[in-house]
Parts: sequence; structure tokens; C-alpha cells
Amino acid sequence: MIPILGLAAGVLLGLFFDPTVPVWLQPYLPIAVVAALDAVFGGFRARLDGIFDAKVFVISFVSNVVVAALIVFLGDQLGVGAQLSTAVVVVLGIRIFGNAAAIRRHVFRA
Amino acid sequence: MGASLLDAVLAETLDPAYAQAAASRSSDGGPPRPRRWGRVVVALTMAVAGLLVAVTYDQAAASVQGRDEVRAALVDDIRTDSSVTDDLAAQLESLRADVTRTRDDLLAASAVGQRARDALARAEESAGAVPVSGPGLLVTLANADPSADEDPVGGGTAAEDPREQVQDGDLQLVVNALWAAGAEAISINGQRLGPTTAIRFAGEAVLVDFRPVTNPYEISAIGDPDSLSAEFLASPEVGALAVISQTFGLRFEYAEEERLSLPAASVPELRSAVPADPAAPTTDPTPGG
Repeated sequence: MIPILGLAAGVLLGLFFDPTVPVWLQPYLPIAVVAALDAVFGGFRARLDGIFDAKVFVISFVSNVVVAALIVFLGDQLGVGAQLSTAVVVVLGIRIFGNAAAIRRHVFRA
Repeated sequence: MGASLLDAVLAETLDPAYAQAAASRSSDGGPPRPRRWGRVVVALTMAVAGLLVAVTYDQAAASVQGRDEVRAALVDDIRTDSSVTDDLAAQLESLRADVTRTRDDLLAASAVGQRARDALARAEESAGAVPVSGPGLLVTLANADPSADEDPVGGGTAAEDPREQVQDGDLQLVVNALWAAGAEAISINGQRLGPTTAIRFAGEAVLVDFRPVTNPYEISAIGDPDSLSAEFLASPEVGALAVISQTFGLRFEYAEEERLSLPAASVPELRSAVPADPAAPTTDPTPGG
């Protein structure tokens, strides 16, 4: 319950305070969001599996976001930013999908 | 290797670190970690995730809104500027009328001046500088109707056959045939043709006197109604155009009109002028442009 409240609080904070993001960071926000979603879905699934671990969750979240943004940043510097973004989104998308399917099996037993 | 990489991506959707942590916990036989600390950090992390989502959403929405705002501002600018242009054109029109009236008054004072005024009036008439009206011929040229089987979703502009559209050459042909048939004044879609007016293509638009005119093209010509239409139809170019328009489905119609009103052509720039010679005041009026 508390994590969900945290998520809601974060969304509300973002919508109300409308923080300005530095321009150089803006291209990496969407990728960071996808990476964060992957970590969140993974944590939720782990909780349903009964193997949730706070330390693993936090570390996987931070490293996911940072590494995803870093890969895209590197790709931008090398001129393959769009392709690397696609690669990151595909891999993370597959993982999100798989975790969502596992969560569905837990919740609906189907 | 390649297959196993793909397999790993597809099968290991859960971070293996969770399983490892669980295994090490159970092998420790372990006391659960300090729960309170864990909950707070997890809640904080989730808050960061929510913040990220909200900020990203805001950014995306703001950039869309920004584009719309810029577009609206540009549209406003265009409207304002074209209304300013219209105002200035109206002002120019009235000032020019003032000048003409004053000039006519002054010229009417003397016999020499009256002759000059008559010469000027004739020159202005042939230069298309004054509006005229009278009987004449109305020729309509229009693009072919879009084919019924054309895909309406695709916008259709790319699929349009240029041969099914009226070209600048078609208009030039009609106009030249009308001049040859004895037309005294011609306008296309209300754009009067002066001595220096060009009819040409720019991109997909036909420009008459550098102003775009659009389909359908209505060419009004003033002249002797009987001889004008007879000679116009007799000219071989018009016959050829009729065949072309039938082949490609262009609309090509003509009608004799009792009364056509043509506006004045755009005012030509004054390009050459000489100071009046006081010894010989009856200088010929220099037509501009």
C-alpha cells in the first residue's frame, strides 16, 4: 500500500510543482520513464512471487534509469541515439510485458 | 549464443537479483531485514518513479502546446499583416483618386491640358489602369474532377495527374486567343491583365501578376460580343485546347455576357519620368512599368 501511495504522491508532486528540467536532460526523460516502469513492474512481480527485497528494488530502479539514460546519451554522442533508444525500449518493453503477464497470472490465476 | 541471448531477454523478465537475495536470505535462515527502513526507501523510490512519469508527461504536453501556440501566433501575425496591407492598399487607392482628381481639375483649365488629359485617358485604358465594363465573353477553365475511385483519405494531392490540371500554358493560350480575337480588356479571376502582366506557374499555383489565382479560372474579356466569340472559337489554339480538355476531363466553357466589370490592373511602378519641358508642355504621358 505504502509504495502505491508513494507513486501517487510522486505523480501529484510532479503535476503540481511542475519542475523545470534542464534542456540537456529532456531527451533522456522518456527512456528513464520506461526504465523506471520496468523496475516498478519487476518489484511488483517479485512481491507477488514473495521474493521482494527493498535493497534489490532500489538498486535495480536507480541502475535501470541511469544505465538506460546513459546508453541513449552514448548513442547520441556516437550518432546512433535513435537506434539505441529503440533497442532499450524493445528490451525493456519485452521485460515489462513479461512481468505484467506474470502479475496477471498471480492476480487472476490465469 | 545469439539464441540464448534472445531467450534470456524473453524468459528472464524478472531481475535475477531478487531470486539471489531470497536465496541468500533463506540460506542465512535469516532474520528479516529492518523492515521500516526498507519501506521508506521503497516508497521514496516509487515517488521518484511517479515524479518521473509526471514530469515527462508535462514535457510532452508542453511541447505540443508550445507548437500550437507558435502556430497560432504566426497565423495571427499573418492576419494582422494582411489587414495592414489591405488598409494601406485602400489608403493608396483613395490617395491616388485624389491625385487623379486634382490632376484632371488642373488639366481641364487649359486646352493643352485637356488634350493631355484625353491622351492620358486613352493610355490608361490600354494600360488597364482604370476599371472598365461592357459586354464580352466569359471563359471558364477548371481542373478535372477528382476521380471517384481515388482514395479520399490520402489527401490525394500526390496522386493528382498534372495533365488533369489547368496549366499556366492553357491560360496563356486562352488569353492570347482572346487578345487576337479583339478583346479590349481581360481579367482572370478578377485579376486584370495589364501590358506587363505575366501568367506563370510557381509550384502548383498559377500566378497572375505575381498573385495566386485558383481553380476554377474565370477569364473575362470585354470586346465586341459577336466578333469576339466567333473569332475566339475560330482560332486553332482554342480548338486544340478543347480537344485536350475533353481528353483529360478539364472543364472548358464559354458564355457571352451582356455586362462584365473588370477592375483596374495593379498600379504599375513609375520607372521612368522626365521633367516637363516648359517650352513644350504637351509631353506624351509616360506609361509606367
